[in-house]
Amino acid sequence: MTGPFRPQERKNARIAGVLVMVAYLLLLTGCATAPQLTPATRDALPDRVRLDDVPFHGQRDYQCGPASLAMVLNAGGRDVGVDALIPQVFLPGREGSVQPEMLATVRRQGMIPFRLPGAFGALLEELAAGHPVVVMQNLALPAWPLWHYAVAIGYDLPDESLILHTGMTPGRAVDFARFDATWARSDRWAFVALPPGELPASLDADAATRAIADFEAARGSRAALPAWQALAERHPTAAMVQFALGNAHHSTGDRPGAMAAYRAATAADPELAPAWLNLGLLASREGDLQMARRALARAAALPGPWQARAREEQAALDQETDG
Amino acid sequence: MKRLSRLLSPLLIAALVLGSLPVAAAPVPADDDLVGTTAVLDASSAQSDRAKIREVLARDDVQQQLLAQGVSPTEVEARVAALSDEEARQMAERLDQLPAGASVVGVLFAVFVILLVTDILGLTDVYPFTR
Repeated sequence: MTGPFRPQERKNARIAGVLVMVAYLLLLTGCATAPQLTPATRDALPDRVRLDDVPFHGQRDYQCGPASLAMVLNAGGRDVGVDALIPQVFLPGREGSVQPEMLATVRRQGMIPFRLPGAFGALLEELAAGHPVVVMQNLALPAWPLWHYAVAIGYDLPDESLILHTGMTPGRAVDFARFDATWARSDRWAFVALPPGELPASLDADAATRAIADFEAARGSRAALPAWQALAERHPTAAMVQFALGNAHHSTGDRPGAMAAYRAATAADPELAPAWLNLGLLASREGDLQMARRALARAAALPGPWQARAREEQAALDQETDG
Repeated sequence: MKRLSRLLSPLLIAALVLGSLPVAAAPVPADDDLVGTTAVLDASSAQSDRAKIREVLARDDVQQQLLAQGVSPTEVEARVAALSDEEARQMAERLDQLPAGASVVGVLFAVFVILLVTDILGLTDVYPFTR
């Protein structure tokens, strides 16, 4: 310490620094305000929820990722322990688990991870629907992050507290304000893990479609089919969902089911070219040439990335039937 | 080992790119399979072809990175296969910056507080801002 400051000035600077630090900590903790819920959300939620059937796994060392996964997977009926999950999700080089692999590991265990919109209301909605939620928090400050996964298993609105399975503590009550401050530092990252056929309460059709499609890409159509069926039941007029259901039916060998779903997709959105195209292709294989011609003509008339393919198929069909 | 992989990686990448070109360029055969769900989702999210090529290459890249981070070779392939395209791209591009949930809460936070106090008391010299 051979700086240009005399001892007296250095002491003043030190006191000033401490004051700034204290003010900063107060700002971050003491003055954190509880997240606001819209009156509509507030009224729709029960006052207290506690999912007692979510088992607790205490974390060892840096294993909050595998421990959190084990809790939600067990709650969803998958019989898997922390030790089996560690080699699937833990990154030794980082002494932790990263978010994409948390989601991927849920898929490997045959359940579907649904990322939630980063809103406090969505988190409470899922809990009220009986779904435990994995959250990512930064328990310290942005400059010295302490990244942590925990499982929300309930809340108490009058008491303004969230109930978390976290670290070594089962069912710990954390007040909304403190929790939201730590959660906000991960951009309010959260997901629910559900068995195919169960759907999150707080997601729109598009977000759920993407999540199920990613699961299908990793685990195949047979595993994803119940999820598509459930989503199509909840959103009967979402064309993209019907289209995806048709593809899943087709991949599992159910042609009539696929045709019906493609028809529903084109009825819901007559502009959805790939649905017309798939409907036409399948109809021509089934020998329903009238339907095939009509559907391919619709697909070929719609501009977009599938127009060229539709025109080719149309020409091929005409050639076949002429010759 | 490191030199070997440095030599091999560009070759493998080149082979992969060249290998996938004919597929991209070839006209779709007349009785090819139906249009897939992810293909339509990707098209509607206006994903560029370049982004798609990056995603193809990303999985190889992620596999290398996971091995380097100490993941056992028998696990690597299954771990990468379970990632969605988007997640694989994220991992390939910024694995170093992705937050890794770990938390040794009790220990680290206590140490932090202790060091803060001792710093203020002038016993230690860890955090410059306390000076």
